[in-house]
This record gives sequence, C-alpha cells and structure tokens, in this order.
Amino acid sequence: MNDRRHTQGCLTRRNLLAGAGCAALGGGLSRLVQAAEAPTAPVALARCESYGAELLPALTKMFDQLGGLGRLVRGKTVAIKVNLTGGPTSRLGYTPIGCTTWTHPKVIGATLHLMGRAGAKRIRLLESPWKSAEPVEEHMAAAGWDPAEFTSAAPKVEFENTNFLGYGKKYFRFNVPNGGHLFPAFDLNHSYEECDTFVSIGKMKEHLTAGVTLSMKTCFGITPCTIYGDGAGEDEPGVLPQGGRYPIHTGYRAVSKSAPQEIDPKSPREGGYRVPRCVADLVAARPVHLAIIDGIESQTSGEGINRNTKHVTPRVLVAGTNTVCVDAVGAAVMGFDPTADRGVAPFENCDSTLRLAEQLGVGTRDLKRIEVIGSRIGEVVFDFRKAGGGITPAVPTWDRPGGRGR
Amino acid sequence: MAQEILTERLVPFRWPADWTDPGLMRLVAGSTINCLLLDGGAEANRPIAAAAQKAGLVVRERTSLAPAPLAKVDWSSPAPIAVTELVWPRIAATRGDATQAGPTGAPWIDSNCWVARLARVRAPGKAIWLEFAPPKDEVAPGESAYQVAIADSAAAGARWIVSLHDDASKGLRTGDSGAQKTWQSILTALAFFEKRRGWASYDPSGVLGVLSTFAGDQEFMGMEVLNLAARRNLQYRILERGAGANQKLAGLKAILYLDGERPSTALKAALAGFCRGGGLLIAPEPLAVDFPGETPLACPVAGYKLQTFGKGKIAIATRDWDDPYFLAADTHSLVGRRNDPVLMYNAQSLWQHYSTAPSGRGSLLQLVGFTGRANTTVSVRFSQVSGFAMMYVPEAQTPTRLEPEKVDGRPEFHLPAFTSYAALEVQA
Repeated sequence: MNDRRHTQGCLTRRNLLAGAGCAALGGGLSRLVQAAEAPTAPVALARCESYGAELLPALTKMFDQLGGLGRLVRGKTVAIKVNLTGGPTSRLGYTPIGCTTWTHPKVIGATLHLMGRAGAKRIRLLESPWKSAEPVEEHMAAAGWDPAEFTSAAPKVEFENTNFLGYGKKYFRFNVPNGGHLFPAFDLNHSYEECDTFVSIGKMKEHLTAGVTLSMKTCFGITPCTIYGDGAGEDEPGVLPQGGRYPIHTGYRAVSKSAPQEIDPKSPREGGYRVPRCVADLVAARPVHLAIIDGIESQTSGEGINRNTKHVTPRVLVAGTNTVCVDAVGAAVMGFDPTADRGVAPFENCDSTLRLAEQLGVGTRDLKRIEVIGSRIGEVVFDFRKAGGGITPAVPTWDRPGGRGR
Repeated sequence: MAQEILTERLVPFRWPADWTDPGLMRLVAGSTINCLLLDGGAEANRPIAAAAQKAGLVVRERTSLAPAPLAKVDWSSPAPIAVTELVWPRIAATRGDATQAGPTGAPWIDSNCWVARLARVRAPGKAIWLEFAPPKDEVAPGESAYQVAIADSAAAGARWIVSLHDDASKGLRTGDSGAQKTWQSILTALAFFEKRRGWASYDPSGVLGVLSTFAGDQEFMGMEVLNLAARRNLQYRILERGAGANQKLAGLKAILYLDGERPSTALKAALAGFCRGGGLLIAPEPLAVDFPGETPLACPVAGYKLQTFGKGKIAIATRDWDDPYFLAADTHSLVGRRNDPVLMYNAQSLWQHYSTAPSGRGSLLQLVGFTGRANTTVSVRFSQVSGFAMMYVPEAQTPTRLEPEKVDGRPEFHLPAFTSYAALEVQA
C-alpha cells in the first residue's frame, strides 16, 4: 500500500499550514481552514448554446482564459473522472442520457482533443460504473456511445473502471489533509495515483443526497466498491465490485478493514450528513487540478427520473482549477446561493459539500473572492428550481438511517 | 406426416378439474384452442372428452405426453415435447435467499424463454409445450399476467399449456364478468401468436454461441448462464457439446465454452478453426492446454488472459467460474456491445428475442414486458437496419408502421406504449 499526500496549486502545504491555526475539532478533524483563508482561483464561465460546432471554440476560449491547458497537461499523464452514473439505457423520455445526467460525450471528446493538442502524454478516462466491473468503454457502448470517438480524439486515450483494482496490482492510499470529516484517508485505484493531472468533468444537476452534483460530487465515484460497496470484503477488498456505496451513504456496515475506517462510527447514519463529508474528504485527498461542469443540457430533480423531472437547457459551461470555486459558480448559475447550508436550497436535506470542502482548505465558495472570467453569472443564470416547478427533491429512502441500498 | 403437422398446430389447454359441466365447452369451441389436456382417468373424463370431440377439439390425457422436467425429458419421444417444473413468468419477489434486485439493480425476472430455446435445440422441429400454472396461493393473475405467460413461451418458439388459476376457472364456471374478460384476453393473445406461427421458425440471431452439455455437472452453470445472458439481452445461439463439430458456427463472433471438460478432437479442431478464422473463444482454465495462445493482449475484463490465436483471440479464465451472473456479464463485455444487434432504451424490464427469417431477408424483434404496466418511451436502435419497421401488439388487429427517428445522429424507432408484448418486423 503506497501512502501519499497530494498537493496542488490550489491546495498547497502553505494552505495547510494556514489552517493549522484553526480551532481543533472533535473526532478526527484536527484543523479547519477559516473561510477567508481558503484558496481561490479564477473560474471561466461561458454561454454555449449546444453540443454542436460552438462547443470546441467555447472550451478553447475558456481554457485560454484559465492560462492555457498546456501548463496543466503538456507531457503529462492526465486522469479524467467523468460522470456516467446510473443505468446507461435509462433515458428521460427519448432524450439521450448525455443531455440529462451523464457528462455529454461531445464535452468529453472536445476536452480530450484540446488536451491532446496541448501535448498531453496520456489521458485516462475514469469512471466506476454502477455496481459493475465492466470496462468503461462497454458502459459507454451500452448507452449507444462509440468509444472510438474518444480514442481518436487525442493520442493514447485509455479507459479504466476504477470500481476495483482494474489494471492495477494494488490500491493506493490518499490521506485527507487536516484529518478529514468522515474518513481520514481513502484507498483508491492506481489511476488516481498514476497521474500528473487530475480532472473532473461533472454535470450541472441537482442531487437527491448532496443537493448538487457539479464537479466535486462527481468524485464520489472514485471510491472502489470492492472496499466501499455493499459487497466489499470484510477484511480485504473484494475481487469484484458488488452493490452500491451504501456503507458510505448510511454507514450500515464498515468498509473493508484493510482501508482506513471512518473517523467517528457514532456520527449520523444519514446520507445527507455523510455523503457531502465524504465528497469533501475525497477532493481534499485527491485534489482536482481542472474542474469542468457540463451545463449545456441537463435535467431537474436530481439524477433519477420522476414525475417532476424535466429536461432543461441551461446552455452554460464552467471551468477552473479550483473545484470548490468552480462549484460555487456552478451553484450560483443554477440559481442557488453557494454559501447556503443545511435547510436552505439546494441543501434542504443535507450539509453543503462546498462548505465542508472549504473547511478542509480546498477552496473558497465565496463568490466575492472568486474571479469569474467570460460571462457574468447574472447573464447565464438558469434557475433549476423554477424550471423544475419549484419542487424540492425528497430524501430518498435509501439515504435514511438503516438504508442498505436499493 | 399429417399427424406431425397436426401436432405442430395444436394449441393446448389444461381443462380445469372443477369444470365437470360439458356445457363449459362453449368457452373453448371456435377459439384458437384446439387441444384439451385432461387430468384423471378416461372414464371420469368421458363426458368432457365427448363434448370436446363434438366441438372438433383434440383430446389428450395429460399423462400421455410424459411431461418431465428439462433434465429428464426424453427428446426422442414423439411430439409434442412437454416440459414441467417451470416458473410463472414475472418479476420475482424473491429468488431463494437473494433480494429482489440483481447486482445491477435491475429487477429479477422469472422467465422460461431460455428453456424453450434449449428445448428447440434438443428437439429440432418438434412442438415444445411448457407446463406451468399461476401460483396457487397467490392473488389470481390479471389479463396482462396471462398475456406474459403466453408471450414468454411463444416468443421463444414454444407454446404454454394454458392453465388457469382456481379463481379464474371458478369465475368462468359461474359466469363472472371479470373472469370472462380475462379469458377473452387469453384467447386474443393465443390467436395473435397462432396467426403468426411462422415467426417460430425464425432462427435466433446472435453473435455469441454458448457451448455446453447443459447436463450433469454443467447443468446449473449452463442453464443459469442461458437465463442470465437472456436477462441482459445478450443474444446467443445454443451449441450442444454432445452435437460435436457439426454445428453451424457461421455468423458467430464468439463462443463461450462453459464446461470444464476438454473438447473431443473433432470439436477442438472446429473451435481452433473458428478462432484462427477470427473468432473469439472464451473458455475456462482447463482448456488453456488445448488452446495455447500466441501473443498476450491487454484484457479489459478482469479475470481473463487474452491472447491472439491466428486471426482470432482466446480468453482463458484465470478464476473459477462460480457465479453465472458475473460470467454472463464478463462474456458480454468480452464479446463487446458493439456487436449487439439491438440496443434498447427504457427497457429494463423487457426481454428481447431477436431472430432472422429463414430467407435471411427480414428480422424480428420480439419484446416481452413483465411489469404489467405500460412500457412508454421505449426506443430501439438496430445495428443493421434502415428504413421502417412494422410493430405488432396482441391488442391491435393491424400493425403500426414506424419510421425511424434520428437521435444523436443515429436512427432509432420510438415505440408506442405497449404492455406485455410487442414485435417489430424489419428488413435487414
């Protein structure tokens, strides 16, 4: 087991030392970073009407606004976590899944193309398809996508399902700076270690458990179900992933003993408490170097499909090098206050991942401290709640205490 | 020969034990049902048999069919072949100690279609009758549940021996209107399939061959893989190991060799030829000695050693195959979804049967829905079909012409809502 602590531009040792003066907390969370000290980074915001011809120029301009992709990817191995959550053949009506809950294939393809052009040495597309060890390219093909469109978009594009060991021989340990909210460290697939640049391409959508998905919640899926899943091995990781991540959602069972256990087994057993904390811990432990939010098309009412779910077209892209800053802008574009917390939309039933990640020193959620480049938020704001008929997504039964998955 | 043709056309109905009144023959006379199966001795059944014969129906003592569980069927016996100990087709509440959902989260579905397909391979050309009845201790099934029972069998080329729940037989006996409505829907569904009996002669289409004895030590794994492959709509053809090297391998892209026992010399040569010609052989570890690969390849599926073999490939399992669910999933990934002839959306509770006309000029996609609810917004994408499709449902006298819609630049068919069954006829 390798044991590494990652740092990056937006989360440096200096940031961590800055947090050292903060008050000590109970449990394992040794230090909180004060909000004013959380790092900030510019966020590029752009109107993009569709996934057609205007997409590539829009992304190109945004990356240039951020200082260019070259400094992030040239000569480097890049790992991209995309959001392909849920069944690949489930659609909202006849709308393709890339236009509702999944990161759209054109956004992935355009990003790959631009990274290849910027000199990326190798790019790995990573996802942990739901309860499955199937190859990511097969998961994509099940949705009707052609994986060859990705491998032809840039040199040396690879796929890996990180729900288990995959092509690796061992898991790698990632410590959470400042001790973590829920877990002190995570054991993850080798692809999250064997990369120079880590990218999250999330979807702009609400989330039943965490309020919003965006770029941080996309990283919830980097946890392998062989360790963090319902069917994980008790002592050692399972060989193949079985079940969902309900040991994280509701804590009804412990993760494999080979991995660091949760800090406080007596903490609340509800998804709205646990999932945001886990996500914040993850993006602190495995920092995101580039966060992109696909908000061109989406759906309301979370990632499932119910009577309140509507296909929507916010027509917006968000990108930046600090995942909290990017999500803060993304939340604002969705019509939410990024400084809101439990009890206030979109966090009616949960704690704010943005606040929790901010406390870990990952980045600020304070829009006053974030430089927004390109479009102004007010120009592109798209109110998800109004579009969805003002419905507050209900707490799913499987996230209540005692829930053991669907 | 005439007798054989007659047998092929028989549509069986198991006469309820509580129907002692020969006058109830009016429910059957003139319908698609043309064969009564009677339980009990000839003497007891004499009035019923006489009424049936007077109505032009064929009468058989049920025991004369020698119905047997799949493993004990005498495949050489005269047609029809009657198979017993089957499931009532439906979304299962439980399966053993397992939970309702499978590892994918998709609901578990009990179906007999794979039994029918195996039976058709073992008794080619013979009528296959499936004997199962609604669970006695449960609420009586409704119209759609009976339609599923008929469609699940018919879509696989077999016939269900129509068997009524006690409540339905009592209701019909006493003139209950609800029971009569259910009965009419049963007759409508039977008539629909008999009118299109030619579809039963279509060849199951798929690029995967599943090869096993499906018997003895291989029975559990073989049958569960057939069941679970069908559940994930992985289209396959059944290859019996006992049939040796003479089976048609043309059109297959992959063969899953299930058995731990090594193949005969002739079968080994046939499989080697298949691989050298560009096919993929998926086999358990004991067969590694028979098919030594050449150049190692990166295998995207965990638990397999992938190597070149001529123009083709060999995937040898590096772990024991102890879970048919994972084996079916691994096989689907190894074969590759790009080879699926059909891709469906919003169809998690539908089973698909894709077959090709004997002429090779047309294809048929049959969909069986198990939820009892309307299937809305189902869309279908064929890999090799352009032009229109004709959609058939039992409730409609005439088919509906469907024009393709472009989604993500690719043509697909958006199906009007249907409940238990739909068929799409397309030109390849």
